[in-house]
Amino acid sequence: MGNDKEYQADRRKFLVSMGLAGAATIAAPALKTMAADSSTVWAEEHEIVIIGSGFSGLAAAIEAKKLGAKDVVVYDKMPYFGGNSTYNGGLFAVPNSPLQKEKGIKDSPEIMAADQLKAGRGVADKELLLHVAEHAGEALQMSLDAGSEYFPYLQQLGGHSVPRTYQTTVASGGGIIRPLVEQCRKIGVKLVTRAKFDTLIFDDDGKVIGAKMLMGHYFGRDQEGTPMNIKTKRGILVATGGFARNINLRQAQDPTLTEEVTSTNPPSATGEALLEMFKIGAIPVHMAYIQTGPWASPDEDGFGYVSNYSIYNFAHSISIYIKTGKRFMNEIADRKTRADAQLSCRDDNGDPLPPITITSYIHAKEHPTMKKVLKYGVGWKFETIEEVAARFNVPLEPLKAQIKEYNGYVKSGVDEQFGKPMEKAKGKFIEAPFVVVRNWPKVHYCQGGVKIDVQARVINSADWKPIPGLYAAGEVTGGVHGVSRLGSCSIPDCMVMGMTAARTIMKS
Amino acid sequence: MKPQVKVLIIAAAVVLMAGSLVAETLQQFDSVQGRSFHADLYADNACDSCHVNAEPEAYPPDFVCLDCHDSDELVQATARPEEDKWQNPHNNMHYAKDVPCMECHGEHSERKVLCAGCHFFDYPNFKK
Repeated sequence: MGNDKEYQADRRKFLVSMGLAGAATIAAPALKTMAADSSTVWAEEHEIVIIGSGFSGLAAAIEAKKLGAKDVVVYDKMPYFGGNSTYNGGLFAVPNSPLQKEKGIKDSPEIMAADQLKAGRGVADKELLLHVAEHAGEALQMSLDAGSEYFPYLQQLGGHSVPRTYQTTVASGGGIIRPLVEQCRKIGVKLVTRAKFDTLIFDDDGKVIGAKMLMGHYFGRDQEGTPMNIKTKRGILVATGGFARNINLRQAQDPTLTEEVTSTNPPSATGEALLEMFKIGAIPVHMAYIQTGPWASPDEDGFGYVSNYSIYNFAHSISIYIKTGKRFMNEIADRKTRADAQLSCRDDNGDPLPPITITSYIHAKEHPTMKKVLKYGVGWKFETIEEVAARFNVPLEPLKAQIKEYNGYVKSGVDEQFGKPMEKAKGKFIEAPFVVVRNWPKVHYCQGGVKIDVQARVINSADWKPIPGLYAAGEVTGGVHGVSRLGSCSIPDCMVMGMTAARTIMKS
Repeated sequence: MKPQVKVLIIAAAVVLMAGSLVAETLQQFDSVQGRSFHADLYADNACDSCHVNAEPEAYPPDFVCLDCHDSDELVQATARPEEDKWQNPHNNMHYAKDVPCMECHGEHSERKVLCAGCHFFDYPNFKK
């Protein structure tokens, strides 16, 4: 797979190599927003057209079929399905879940939304958050019906006031995407790869009636694909995810996100469908709120193994600034708080000095990712604290004093340093032997995107009304989470809004 | 005019088991690079074995390799121990069996495995 730079370079090469014959079709951008007329040739027609095969697109397809749709097609520009949805920890927050009831944990959609609003720093969308939280249980059930398997326990992720997070037993979104793809096949959803969305097609009344697709698209390989107009009876759902791998676009929003900041996302997260929606009048919301994951590791590319490992272990671990041997953050604060704290860990030249996270081996081994972390050399086991200090060049005495101090907080249940909630750390002292990983943030999620209403309809900047026939769900939408999205809140958002879009479309 | 590719596969498998196959299988056939285990295809100028209904400049259909290679056999051949079972490149964690062959395998040029974008998996029998 090529990286972004290759992809962009390839596209330029493609344009140049098109020559004269190609120039006529490429001249189309002036007419990008196409209105259909009698000369429009339709290659295919489908009842519902879904662009993107992640959580939102697949959930929408399954829900639409359930509600009686006969002909649903899902397009993906990549040669396989799932996009960024299959590249993550498979963490799924659900309030009032069966597991919470079993464990006697008191929760509600209102409490979950309140946690999210707090992390959103006042600008999250309360109505959408409540809607997602209220329906999250239905989305979980859809994944279970398709065959997803979850650990029999809940996790309490950063910024959540109670344990409410399920995780697939394979600790990946793949544990949801694979079953959903299978389910789609079983119920007769058409799934098409190498089909890249290009432009929307409208009728004279401004209703979206189709899309120009580029069929036979080879991502990053100099082949854009053959244009084909696809007509839709009921509407188009854009569920194409974020733009974490479009360096120009993300840097235009946040200049600190240079190409030196890597990403957990696949190279396909480039956001061109998002830009097309802006072109036809959709409203950009919160484009600069781009989240970096504080659990990622500089010792592997992408999401890798350390991300999951750290997400699980942060609650009963300490993160240490190499220079001082001291903690520097609440290890389960919200993502932005932690990423900002990590980015301030620098050496004397101002260069990144990734902090280490120390976990007692007996606690780390409770989660299956520890084995992988050790096996692939992206985390290390140490018998003594002296070995840890020597390996990472941490001053030993301050480190020992810090561990002693922190273990006091484990005992008292109150973190006097950083106010970390200690419920999940109860009885979990930092003791040898240890497992250590290094952490450094990676671009993970784009909170920004197009504005939708609570029925997943895309709102038009011209009249503030829904654009007829156009729906959006998942990471491509904006404003839901505000400044910082809490972990495990994307899967419920994507799936619920995909299902919501299907419900709206089937009523239209 | 497909040559007897099955025979070739078996021959390649035997060589592989004998451990005498060196990592380098990419070699020059007249004007084009190709895999040594597909030598018969080049000898017969059988571009259309893969580039179905198209000039060789166009990419072959995604799963054309499966006309000769059996998907289930491939899955079996690359099975991993139970704890790593989803690292099987032919039936993997993220995409199951849905990854087109040439996302990892290059017939005419070197490629690296798709998962190397994030993971350090070791596939000792993989021919770049």
